[in-house]
Amino acid sequence: MDIRTQIERYYAAHVQDFANSSRFQALEAGQLSRADMDQFIANLCRAHLKSPQILAFLYSVAPPAAASAIQHNMLEELGLDDEGICHPDLLLELAAAAGFDEAQREALVEGAQENVRSLCTDPLMFGTIKELGLSVLLEVTCFEWMLSRLASRIGRALEQHRGLSPESLEWFYHHSEVDIRHAEEGITSVVDYLRYYEIDADELETILDITFRENIFLKRYFGAIALAQETHMLEATP
Amino acid sequence: MSHQVVSATLFALRIPFVEAFAHSVRSRTYSDSIVVRLELADGTVGYGEAVARPYVTGETVESCLDFMKERIWLAVQQTAYPSPPADSAAGLDWLRAIAHTLPTDPAEGTPGHVVAWNAARAGWELALVDALLKTEGRSLAHILPPQRPSVTYSGVITASGIESAVKMAKRFKQFAIPHLKVKVTGEGDRDRIAAIREAVGDKPSIRIDGNGAYDVEGAIATCQELAEFAIASAEQMLPRGNPADLAAVQAAAPIPQMADESLITLADAEALIAANACQWFNLRIAKCGGLANTVAIAQRAQAAGIRCQLGCQVGETAILSAAGRHLAAHLPVEFVEGSYGKLLLSQDISRHPIHFAHQGRAPLLTRPGLGVEVLDGMLETYAYQTISLKS
Repeated sequence: MDIRTQIERYYAAHVQDFANSSRFQALEAGQLSRADMDQFIANLCRAHLKSPQILAFLYSVAPPAAASAIQHNMLEELGLDDEGICHPDLLLELAAAAGFDEAQREALVEGAQENVRSLCTDPLMFGTIKELGLSVLLEVTCFEWMLSRLASRIGRALEQHRGLSPESLEWFYHHSEVDIRHAEEGITSVVDYLRYYEIDADELETILDITFRENIFLKRYFGAIALAQETHMLEATP
Repeated sequence: MSHQVVSATLFALRIPFVEAFAHSVRSRTYSDSIVVRLELADGTVGYGEAVARPYVTGETVESCLDFMKERIWLAVQQTAYPSPPADSAAGLDWLRAIAHTLPTDPAEGTPGHVVAWNAARAGWELALVDALLKTEGRSLAHILPPQRPSVTYSGVITASGIESAVKMAKRFKQFAIPHLKVKVTGEGDRDRIAAIREAVGDKPSIRIDGNGAYDVEGAIATCQELAEFAIASAEQMLPRGNPADLAAVQAAAPIPQMADESLITLADAEALIAANACQWFNLRIAKCGGLANTVAIAQRAQAAGIRCQLGCQVGETAILSAAGRHLAAHLPVEFVEGSYGKLLLSQDISRHPIHFAHQGRAPLLTRPGLGVEVLDGMLETYAYQTISLKS
């Protein structure tokens, strides 16, 4: 199996697990309570509000062949490309449309910043930035892979079952379009990264295993307890 | 100056694991720690943690909670606790004095057989120590002065199929963890250990842990079969029982034996030493009844030439991890387990992550008390039972 296929299979399985989860299906079927939907929106905002910073980190460790694509991705997130759509602003507009007041939106930004803080302060398990960079790159590109396939479905669910306007859901519809390209470019970036830093298939497999030990989408979007219930680590009603 | 405890809350937690953890006795998918949060009259708050294991001390979560609220709380609220001494040379006496205030016997008529109420006592001892040290702004390192600049932890490979075990071994290799412990069950041990050794190479040390899954003949045969993989020690191959049985294994097996479930009290330590039953003790704070009792057993081991490992209970949170860090830095232990934090728990309960880093290394803790900032919100999120105690 070539490396590209190895990564795509990993991503596809991870996304499939998310799409097949009872939480995701409840979201699509309109079976989540309003409070749970709002929690989902809050979690999603916290997960992505600081994406430009994460991409900036990836840009700083990117091999020459991948630097341009990652730089473009970062500028696009910031709204500094030709389209001029700042993605964090789209998330805050989504939160406002869902009824989050200014203080709640500020709390979302603080929560997102806390995630960046954790990334910087958690004891490092990897021995070098090379491995950490690969793990972050895999996570980011797996998110792009997922969004290219599920973002419009999530947007439609929130439109139909939470009554949000298509304008307020621009983040999802925009991602469903641009991330098809990003998803392809992302895997190319990973392949370039592996080649540049001379990471072999065995080490890649281990870092994939470490990075995706938990379903990152379920944990980030629905929370640790929901993930534990989906994976039977906890009973549904402890 | 003395301090009075005015209230306490017991949180019975269920914190999910990232992945299931199994050994020969059972498989776990969540931490079932009990956190003791107590408040002194001056408002200082301290945290302790108990991990009840019926197959270790005989305590269950429910019986542990009952013992805490019916026996320990009665004693604690009637006691005036001294501030920690300014002179750290008096630290161990202070620690022993605190432990001495905690009852050891259950109320009359309590059903079930319990070897010792050590998990319950450890939870309260830690909470008291944490709070009392905080009143003076002192770290536990003042009472247990560190003898090393950092602590190096082992990785533990759960009882699982070969593929899963190799996957875990490769993770630990990626993290350059220098010592590994592998749970063995009596089924396919040789193939698993061979695959793990092949995956990690010759460099990391490997220990095995049977959790009492073998009889004398089986333990000897297994050790003979696995010796070629350079196994540093074999932990608790037999069930807790007559030390003479373990001595028979120690005499015949090519791998040094380590006592774990057989070592709960100081009397156990004396019996094991008298029988020449093993070369290693596995100390655990929750199993041995807290810091003071664990130090006492370690001192006895040292005097008898027994080597020590500081182990942990599966699913310990940041509180017991922090206590373990201090103790591991203070005692002459050769292997250390614990501080897995978010490597095992889906979320930990402290603001600052406690888990070790690359090469299993973790720094010493220097903040007041045990050195961790517990998030009450996390306790409330993961508590399925909360008991409030007021004097």
